[in-house]
Amino acid sequence: MSIMANKLQRWVQAGLISPTQHEAILAFETSHPQRSNWWLYSLMILGSAIIGLGVISLIASNWADIPDTVKLAANFTLLALLAAGIYWQYPNQSQGVWFEVLVVGFMLLCLASIGLISQIFHSGGAWYHALLFWALITALLSLFAHSLFTRFFWVTLFLSGLVWSIVAGVGTHFRHTLDEFPAALLLAPLLAALLYQLALRNKWLHGFASSLFFWFQVGAVIALVFADIARSGGELLDYQASRYLPAYIVAALLAIGILLQQQYRLTNKLLLLAALALLLLYYYPDLLFTGEQRYSLFDTYDHETVSFWQADDVRAPLLTLAILFLYAIHAGNVGHQRTFNLVTFLIGARFVILYFQAMGGLAATGVGLIISGGLIMGIAWLWYKGRERLRTWSKELQA
Amino acid sequence: MNKRTLLAIALTLPILALAATAWMKSTQRSSGAEVALPIEGFDPRDLLSGHYLIYQVDYGLENLCAATDVATAVCLQPERLATPADTVPADCKLFIRGYCDSSANFNAGIERFYIPEEHAAILENKVRDKRGTLVLSVDPQGTAVIRDLLIDGQPWQEAVKAPN
Repeated sequence: MSIMANKLQRWVQAGLISPTQHEAILAFETSHPQRSNWWLYSLMILGSAIIGLGVISLIASNWADIPDTVKLAANFTLLALLAAGIYWQYPNQSQGVWFEVLVVGFMLLCLASIGLISQIFHSGGAWYHALLFWALITALLSLFAHSLFTRFFWVTLFLSGLVWSIVAGVGTHFRHTLDEFPAALLLAPLLAALLYQLALRNKWLHGFASSLFFWFQVGAVIALVFADIARSGGELLDYQASRYLPAYIVAALLAIGILLQQQYRLTNKLLLLAALALLLLYYYPDLLFTGEQRYSLFDTYDHETVSFWQADDVRAPLLTLAILFLYAIHAGNVGHQRTFNLVTFLIGARFVILYFQAMGGLAATGVGLIISGGLIMGIAWLWYKGRERLRTWSKELQA
Repeated sequence: MNKRTLLAIALTLPILALAATAWMKSTQRSSGAEVALPIEGFDPRDLLSGHYLIYQVDYGLENLCAATDVATAVCLQPERLATPADTVPADCKLFIRGYCDSSANFNAGIERFYIPEEHAAILENKVRDKRGTLVLSVDPQGTAVIRDLLIDGQPWQEAVKAPN
């Protein structure tokens, strides 16, 4: 409140508001306190999460001397008590933190219960099936959560369980292989984006939109970085269409969703569809990539037998830059300031890495390091000065 | 439906789902035919993962997995043989369903046994020495669940108290 009072004082002195308005604003803020202090909220939920983790750890320590029936009875009694507490606190949910704390505790205890049942009956199930099962049984309850933390927690575990369950479902039993890893990396951002679109269209799911958008962006950056590194190194050539089938289906649904999105104009739709198509192309080896590199980052010589445009370590960065550029224009166009800044920063960073790839031998020398340092400063400066122009241009593109 | 009723459903649903899962597992464990099979560590360097033992069940068959990544069944009675899961012989009275993974190991979802932290090292050593036997309950559909782990024919709780 003191920060606000100081600001109001400055505004009065600057003639922006009258002393009467100053008094009125202060009186209003005093009579309408915030729903709760954010730090209290955060610490209480954090405490609840830590207690939940403690319960999971206790279960994991596997007390063999306690009979199974007693363990299960204690577990279900605790679940029932927490459920009763949540139901009892429900009328106060808009004011108090206890409702949220109990919901987080209940959700964690549900997760711990799955672990306990697995432990008692020695189930050999996969972790992603357990997460998906947990997410499904707590889905309805997660709709009642008000805190961003609770929803973020639920969305994170749900997405992890769903992505890996889908990939494992269409593939083989991959407990001993990570061949499906690239397919999961591609599927994750696409699925998050599709669910984000659904969340925007359904008022019940609105609360999950920001968490889904966060995981879409993080997942997309990870998928892009992984594909870039793998392709630049001549890897990722083992392609099985069946592994990528879920990603293609989700991409098709996502494309339909983008086309039906009324908030986007034609330019945005085309930008997003182009970025999506290029991302899919990245994971498909036979069209763009040869498996050969021209440059070496750590050796002192280059493999110049491959022509510049044929080399995967040239094509991959160009594809990365194209995808980032398309998405940056879209973000600037729709006014997503932070996303725009992040993506343009990534573009600059990729240029620097591309330089090191191409000039690896020279960069090891003193002159090379001086040039490299200058280039980093130059690109940083260009990024700082150029992003405003790019944002203005992307907005003008609309007109 | 008002929101409070919906909340009651949202709270009851997970409890019922978890209780049903526990009940189902318990029923599977108590019914079904009892089978005892020896176990061994298929990777002796890494037998213990967290608080569970991972092992390979010895079905008494050489080259059980002729192919990788394929659903397979192991017939236990009247004679032991491996067969594709969808063509189990009609005269096979007792069989376990599973799959041959990418490393050509047969998995039936029983390759993990949870153990208490304080007994982990001693049990790991005994299983490594091939002294472990797994007691299973197998239902007519070929689903196997673990009943107990025996060490030298004794329940593992007894075995960890013994000096050797």
